[in-house]
Amino acid sequence: MSEIIVITSGKGGVGKTTTTANLGMGLAMRGKKVVLVDTDTGLRNLDLLLGLENRIMYDLIDVTQGRVPYKKALVRHKKQENLFLLPTSQVKDKTAVNPEELVKLCDELRQEFDFILIDCPAGIEQGFKTAIAAADCAIVVTMPEISAVRDADKIIGELGRADKENIKLVVNRIRPQMVEKGDMLDMDDINDILSIECIGQVPDDEMVVTSTNRGEPCITMEKSQAGQAYRNIVGRILGEKIPFMTFPKEGFFSRLKRVFNL
Amino acid sequence: MREEIVRIKGTKAGLQLLFAAGATYAAIEAEIREKLAAGSGFFCRGTVMHALAGSLPEAEMEKLRHLFHENGVIFSVTRAPFPLPEEPQGAPEPTAPAEAEAPAAPQPAEDAQQMVVVNRTLRGGQEVRTQSSVLVCGNVNPGAQIIAGGSIDIRGTCRGMVHAGAFGNQKAFVIADHLVPTQIRIADLIARAPDKAPADLEKPTRPERASIKDGQIVIEPIER
Repeated sequence: MSEIIVITSGKGGVGKTTTTANLGMGLAMRGKKVVLVDTDTGLRNLDLLLGLENRIMYDLIDVTQGRVPYKKALVRHKKQENLFLLPTSQVKDKTAVNPEELVKLCDELRQEFDFILIDCPAGIEQGFKTAIAAADCAIVVTMPEISAVRDADKIIGELGRADKENIKLVVNRIRPQMVEKGDMLDMDDINDILSIECIGQVPDDEMVVTSTNRGEPCITMEKSQAGQAYRNIVGRILGEKIPFMTFPKEGFFSRLKRVFNL
Repeated sequence: MREEIVRIKGTKAGLQLLFAAGATYAAIEAEIREKLAAGSGFFCRGTVMHALAGSLPEAEMEKLRHLFHENGVIFSVTRAPFPLPEEPQGAPEPTAPAEAEAPAAPQPAEDAQQMVVVNRTLRGGQEVRTQSSVLVCGNVNPGAQIIAGGSIDIRGTCRGMVHAGAFGNQKAFVIADHLVPTQIRIADLIARAPDKAPADLEKPTRPERASIKDGQIVIEPIER
């Protein structure tokens, strides 16, 4: 039975697209057949994170408007043959696709794929409404920052209004040192306000930036902490019970290094 | 052991209040207060308490209604003997937030006795607007609003904006397990959280009640 998951956040820049790319890659690495649907029409990025930009022939709009069958628009990942991308158009805007069209498309995709991940645009307007229309389940990405949490709260409310009750939380870009010092919201604060099931706590990791620029999701990197966190989330999506990562306390030397700016 | 003046009997439709014959109102009230205090966990909010019409004079019934209402118990005078054939009057009705104002009832006093129950967390951008009182079983998050003609009770943390007695009822109040709202409004008064909370004034750990005293909104801890 295939599952349609929308990855959304409300606020921009919290890591929806990064999360989509990593979870997609992770699920594919586990042998699932995955398609990533980018619905951020006009501001597409998902292809960049996967390093597939120059392979795009057709896009979501061509498919929904019936110009080509969806199979023609799918882009297979270079290394991971279970992973496909359905890119969107960079020249059109969010009004180019409507909820009914996306639901119809997802029903077709369901026949072939185990997981359909939808990358949702920021905001709560038409683009958001379109992106969530077909979803069985939603992953809300937030950051330990008051504005991101506030927007996540609003999004959870909006999802509830659209009868999407299966909502999971991923907290991205946690900086353990700042949390420890009390300069950043900790997980208790966030859970207190959002009160939905948390399936991921991803630390802020420089490797995410380098991997984004290289077009290879960091989940493939053994040493990346964020990659490990994403691998854990993939396990939890597949129903495994995995405890949350604990972050090593900053050691004496690394603190010394930081103090002297080395 | 002395004989009980007030007996509470469980029935299908709720609890039934029975009085011993010939008891004075003062004795009845004292005993009910005692029972409410003793069984504060038992009388959960929204419990419906029925009394048979005619067992007490109308004015005394009204006093009892106030007493129960203060404790969150819905008091209903029924004419029919138990079990009740129809839905008891004044029972809580779950209703969707952001709903338009409750349909105008014949008497405003009657409205204040009714209660809208919201059985989930109110999130940012959601609003409950009603003529009657509001009970929230869940949190009220920042950015959410409750505007009630009557009082507001939140079984959870209140971080949003709450307006009790929005249509002029100065006796309305706001209760929450953790009362840390952005703003409290009661009738025509507004109070807001201090810009910088003192360090020792962290999140309150006890239920609190905000009400109007001497023309000001005051917040005091309560037991429940």
